[in-house]
Amino acid sequence: MKGPLLKAGIILACMYVAIKFILPLFTAPLPASLIFLYMMLTFSSIMIFFTMSGESISEFMGPVYRFISGEGQEGIAKTARLLVFLIFPLLVGWQTYTKLAPSDLPPAENRTIHPAPPGEFVGLANPTPDTPDTIAMGQGLYAAFCSPCHGGNYDGKGPAAVGFNPPPANFSDPGTIAQLQESYLFWRIKKGGVGLPVEGMPWKSAMPRWEFELSDEWIWSIIRGEYAGAHQAPRTWEEEEDE
Amino acid sequence: MASRKILMVGLVNLILAGWLGTSWVFSSEPPPEGKEESVSVRIYLTEESLPTTDPLSGVWDTVPVSEFNLAPQVHWPDRIQEATVKSVKVRGLHNQEELAILVEYQDPTEDEADAAALEFMVGDSKAHFAHGQEMLQVEGGPVNIWYWKKSDGKAMDMSAKGFKTLRAQDQQDVSATGSWQNGTWKIVFSRPLLTGDEHDAQIIPGNWTSVAFAFWDGNLIEGEVKEKGSQKAISSWWYVRAEPPPDDSIYGYVVLGLVIAVAFELVVARKLRKGKSA
Repeated sequence: MKGPLLKAGIILACMYVAIKFILPLFTAPLPASLIFLYMMLTFSSIMIFFTMSGESISEFMGPVYRFISGEGQEGIAKTARLLVFLIFPLLVGWQTYTKLAPSDLPPAENRTIHPAPPGEFVGLANPTPDTPDTIAMGQGLYAAFCSPCHGGNYDGKGPAAVGFNPPPANFSDPGTIAQLQESYLFWRIKKGGVGLPVEGMPWKSAMPRWEFELSDEWIWSIIRGEYAGAHQAPRTWEEEEDE
Repeated sequence: MASRKILMVGLVNLILAGWLGTSWVFSSEPPPEGKEESVSVRIYLTEESLPTTDPLSGVWDTVPVSEFNLAPQVHWPDRIQEATVKSVKVRGLHNQEELAILVEYQDPTEDEADAAALEFMVGDSKAHFAHGQEMLQVEGGPVNIWYWKKSDGKAMDMSAKGFKTLRAQDQQDVSATGSWQNGTWKIVFSRPLLTGDEHDAQIIPGNWTSVAFAFWDGNLIEGEVKEKGSQKAISSWWYVRAEPPPDDSIYGYVVLGLVIAVAFELVVARKLRKGKSA
């Protein structure tokens, strides 16, 4: 008599095990919200299937009705029913509390790390020659102006770095300048943190607006020096191969 | 028909229990505390007396502390490559009328030119941490600075919106008392939470705003004070909030939810029994 209900329970359990433990063996782990969504879909499908006809309804819901009404229950079933009746209101109370309780956490940090640059800084080419001389000059300028924050080893660990939030970029990390075009770096160095759009949270940035102190040529040479020193290459267009 | 009603009630009950059950099982955990989110200043609510003029009061030992690293001011000329003060410990208390914020930091010598400052954003607009420096793509607002210097012996309420615009306010609301002992400065800043001055940062319990710090070591090096003006130790913006008074009405709603759930259970159970015996 508990056949359909038991089947439903088994289907739900198998579904959960599959998406929580088995699927991640082939893909990345699923976020909790997605797992919840899939479980709800499974649950709804089960409900629709088992309530499609009068007979299947009474077969499926029969045990549930008997359990809730408590008719002719004894022993373990009676205890279980009491337990469910006790836990349900407690769950409701708990959910009410968590939804109404004020949060103690500070606002979440939703800063965009690499926001889009203004149009005039897109697609610019580095006008300085790609020579050891330029790189040497660029690295000298870097040492004087950039290393206090970005570090002598281009790793974001300069002596002044520890006090800033967000911290100075670590150029040796492949997620920073290796992901960007030289044109982008030119914008960020020239216009500084105050040049960021609102999603970049310019009010937090300690990056100086170097255009007041450094010429464009110096900035472009710093860019060459920085890539060389950090052992990274800028993101660039693929070169067409000759057929 | 009675059985249809029972069916509907039963379905609703099942779906509700199913929703509650699954949302409980699958409820997401609170977001992991990253470095930036976990460090903020909390100004705790107290019902006891506020140590507004006593940086050495024993009350401060009972208040949880937040600690922030500082950097030498390398953001804007005139830069300084190294500053004495490396980090600061911050504690805050309020009694819904006034607040008191204690800053504590290491400074080997007590000097007349030693100084400390707290900076706040004003109102709803964002301001750059360097004196509300102009931003190119965002309309920035002003900052409110509370500045204390040992030689003055008191605090000054100041405003700025960009470099070289720092000036004392007409309405002075801030007080400060400092004490140096064994290489440690302790300075308590106090002010009413709300001042009615539009140039001031209003501290509304429950609302998050931002605070930054600056410290000057007035030590003489070769006869000159090295840290003055823009040459100082600074911090970035950190979140700050005055703790709101507890809201006990939540518990009323929790009890209401409990009562409704129990009533719901009893109604459904009774209906099902009646349906059966019909």
